[in-house]
Amino acid sequence: MAENKDEKMIDIYVMGRMYRVPEGLTIMTALEYAGYKYVRGCGCRGGFCGACSTVFRTKNEYKLRMDLACQTAVEDGMFLVQLPFVPAVRTVFQIDKVDPEEHDNILLEHYPEIARCVSCNTCTKACPQDIEVMDYVQAALRGDIDRTAKLSFDCIQCGLCSIRCPADIKHYHLAQEARRIKGRYIDIHSQQLAHRIGELHDGVYEEKMKEYVSMKKEDIKKVYDKREFHKEG
Amino acid sequence: MTDGYPRYMRESIEKLESTREERAKTTFERMPASESDELLKKYHPDYREEGKREIRVGASKGEKAPLELLRLLEAPSLIDPADIDLGQVDYDLDLLIIGGGGAGTVAALWAIGEGISPENILIATKLRHGDSNSMMAQGGIQAADKVEDSPVQHYLDAMGGGHYTNVPELLEALTMDAPRLIRWHEELGILYDRDTDSEFIELPGGGTSRYRMHSSGDYTGMELMRVIRDEARNQDVPVLEFAPAVELLTDDHGSVTGALIMNLETNEYYVVRARSTVLATGGFGRLHVQSYPTSNHYGATGDGLIMGYRAGVPLRDMDSVQYHPTGAAYPDQVLGLLVTEKVRSIGAQPINVDGEMFVNPLEPRDVEAAAFIRECYGRDKGIETPTGMKGVWLDSPLIDVIKGEGTVARNLPAMVRQYKRFNIDMTIDPILVFPTLHYQNGGLAIDAQGATPVSGLFACGEVTGGVHGKNRLMGNSLLDFNVFGRRVGISAAKHASKAAPGKLTLNHVNSYQKALEDAGVDTKERSPLLIPEYRGKKVLERHLDIGVFL
Amino acid sequence: MEGYLYYPGCTLKTKASDYEKSAMAVMEALGKPLVEMDDWYCCGAVQSLTTDDLMHQIAPVRTMCCAQEQGETELVTLCDMCYNVLKQANLRMREKPQDLETLNEFLDEDPDYRGEVEVFHLFEILRKMGREISKKTVKPLDGLRISPYYGCMLLRPTEIAMDDTENPKVMEELLEVLGAQVIDNPKRTECCGSYHTVNRSDIVEKRVKAIVARAVDDGADAIALSCPLCQFNLDYHQRSAGYDIPVLYLTELMALAFGLEVGMEKHWIDPKKMLKEKKILE
Repeated sequence: MAENKDEKMIDIYVMGRMYRVPEGLTIMTALEYAGYKYVRGCGCRGGFCGACSTVFRTKNEYKLRMDLACQTAVEDGMFLVQLPFVPAVRTVFQIDKVDPEEHDNILLEHYPEIARCVSCNTCTKACPQDIEVMDYVQAALRGDIDRTAKLSFDCIQCGLCSIRCPADIKHYHLAQEARRIKGRYIDIHSQQLAHRIGELHDGVYEEKMKEYVSMKKEDIKKVYDKREFHKEG
Repeated sequence: MTDGYPRYMRESIEKLESTREERAKTTFERMPASESDELLKKYHPDYREEGKREIRVGASKGEKAPLELLRLLEAPSLIDPADIDLGQVDYDLDLLIIGGGGAGTVAALWAIGEGISPENILIATKLRHGDSNSMMAQGGIQAADKVEDSPVQHYLDAMGGGHYTNVPELLEALTMDAPRLIRWHEELGILYDRDTDSEFIELPGGGTSRYRMHSSGDYTGMELMRVIRDEARNQDVPVLEFAPAVELLTDDHGSVTGALIMNLETNEYYVVRARSTVLATGGFGRLHVQSYPTSNHYGATGDGLIMGYRAGVPLRDMDSVQYHPTGAAYPDQVLGLLVTEKVRSIGAQPINVDGEMFVNPLEPRDVEAAAFIRECYGRDKGIETPTGMKGVWLDSPLIDVIKGEGTVARNLPAMVRQYKRFNIDMTIDPILVFPTLHYQNGGLAIDAQGATPVSGLFACGEVTGGVHGKNRLMGNSLLDFNVFGRRVGISAAKHASKAAPGKLTLNHVNSYQKALEDAGVDTKERSPLLIPEYRGKKVLERHLDIGVFL
Repeated sequence: MEGYLYYPGCTLKTKASDYEKSAMAVMEALGKPLVEMDDWYCCGAVQSLTTDDLMHQIAPVRTMCCAQEQGETELVTLCDMCYNVLKQANLRMREKPQDLETLNEFLDEDPDYRGEVEVFHLFEILRKMGREISKKTVKPLDGLRISPYYGCMLLRPTEIAMDDTENPKVMEELLEVLGAQVIDNPKRTECCGSYHTVNRSDIVEKRVKAIVARAVDDGADAIALSCPLCQFNLDYHQRSAGYDIPVLYLTELMALAFGLEVGMEKHWIDPKKMLKEKKILE
């Protein structure tokens, strides 16, 4: 195969098989360059969806590392395998029945295996989002839902933590429940929103809306062009 | 960590830094309407006539659409109806939802609320449940709940932003329902950024006259999608992953009665009969209209547009496409990825190669994008990357200057992380941006309840047109999938409770095929596309299609 | 540090919050506040008896490493289980440098633990503060007959015992300073049944009955202790034998003597009734 002279080529190993690809590609684009067409293992291509979890080892390194294929540049001598699915069990719950005030430790009830955490921190090292995974599991263990939710907020649910955990903890499912409990029960809900919904219920804006909806383009344009911008408040 | 830029780009950064202090005190004036109209005509890709032409067949024959869409819209089906045995029904349902992103999942939840039992629902989705543009939306969701704001004001902003092409009844639904959907989110346990009084922290967006953007860091779409998906899991909504629809099914009267779906891993097809069918397949960013890079999900290939159009649903506003002003232009690995509008909402200014401001940071998206293109290609004041791309600076460190140290890190964790991976610290250095293909403004025609003109077929989310007219404002797409996902869930459930199970045919596919032949369309393409092509050129040239696994 | 670096453990944050609240209150009153560690981890709850199971030492060592990195050499804990696990892990790290080395190599993302942190139970600290406690005792527990109970974890194995294994005195001394009358219970160092409470409550009931019967027969008004698990077992399981003697954390009693009313919210047998009868509470 003829290669573009300007491009520096490097060798990567996809499940052991060597391919020569241009330097500077991400793992995802390098595999495509090599001829792979993704069905699994590719999602948003922007680091938000957790579809492209990849386990790899770089040259002369004994440790296995984990990251997202769409967000990681290939390196010469990289050995790659993709892990597009994690068979982790998840606890079904009803959001209106998990008030933390009514449970001793609802997260421990739903995920009793968190008590097996030995603080090895392998989960944290596996996380492509640099989340303090072990710390939020520990927070969950002591019933601190708020901290669990805050620490886990950036989770993209790729599942690498759970794949690596020697205690078989389902970190990302546990964290999802913690965040929902915080949103539902710990955060105080908006008063202004409740007020606006009351107004809508009473039909406060209906007349004005009807007027706008039936306006001709030229007329509503006039209103639009005259609108005032509210400053920060 | 700040050595991510080559030397020559650093020289421009120094110019930018030299004007920062002065700029922190200045706002670039908003453009008068006369100037922005001119600007759009001259520089916005939508106004390039060679990028589109008239549709030759179907319900919207004669209307204009981008060439990249027409290549698929005017192509025969992936399947030959003669090969398909519709006699054996694999799934017999009340409600089939095609697409497992935000819109489809919201529709499923509200259909259950309307009394449809989960086992009579199926979400069939091309990739994984939740794989969607919904997941990637960063900036926020609009809803008028502040005292100084109102749904009417929200309506006005969106109508002007859409250049008065929005369907008034759809926009009314969007803005009037908005607060109720945010309330639903509170009940589901979605986390929104709140101040110490527990009220929402709300930001302005391009084209909005009020502070109305609710956000969840810069992971707003992800937070919404993952919670809504979690709730669907709690309610046991059946989801078939890696199972896209390839064509709708219709009865003798042209009503939609289900769909043909396929298993992407075994290539087996399944026949689905449904009393109501919902298209919630999202947009078409991965068609790379006018060769633009895109911020879209891998699956955004416009499949629903094609299938719905073949079944007889008209399209609207397909001649306009949204280019998000701030796609990443450097480094090459993240080309086209979204830099959320929130970066500008909280204070970053667009700056040219000489360190000068040239546009207000919060013009409507099309105006903002056109101004960037003008700066790069009209005035030659862009910054060229090592691979020949051009872009303008987005002065992100300015945010910390205006709003205090740590604001960028706190409010934009996803962005900071993304750039850090490539050795750029956006809290210290600016980032380089250029418009990226972001949103399909137009789409399938629907009424305010999300029904298409074809009986039995509903649609919601990015696949539809009319809500945003020819230009969507920031924060209205997350809102769209919630408002219309809900409305469609309710109306499709109501329809299902009355409709009898329909006859299953692929007649409309045959008729469409005939129309293509009559119009003299000659093409090797087949559609829908399902999976975009990114394989290396060299590999494809030597690709042997011998069907070992087919 | 003005007070003491404090390791809570998980139970103190949930079931045993009475203990934490009262201990925090008395130490605050004594001018030596307990300051919770910036970072800490579950101790593991039970000292692993498998000698080659180094994995179970990671959590306690990580916590002591956190104390070290906060610049402290003394670490105080309230829970008897945590005390036992931390102290045994610490001892092992000192006695088996090769184990410490292995762990430090495993914990490669963190600084090395040097084995220099000392673990204390709160009672060891309080024992040295007799004079201050006496000064703060504004409402002496006159006429209150208290039977102290130690259980296992503070005293066994001998290498980590915080008092005389056979004849501990620390609670007796503290109770006397508070003005209470100590009721000696020969069963005070016997096991309450511990984790058998999970699936063999019959074992726990038998042992608890023996312990509680002795205290009641000798005229005690309440039992004092510090272990959250003992507290649960004694409090909960005595009811099957028909007893209703309150089981209090010693710090709850100390808080009362200091004129503070804290804790006493999560008891199966409400101590407030008895305390009112004894005119300790109004």
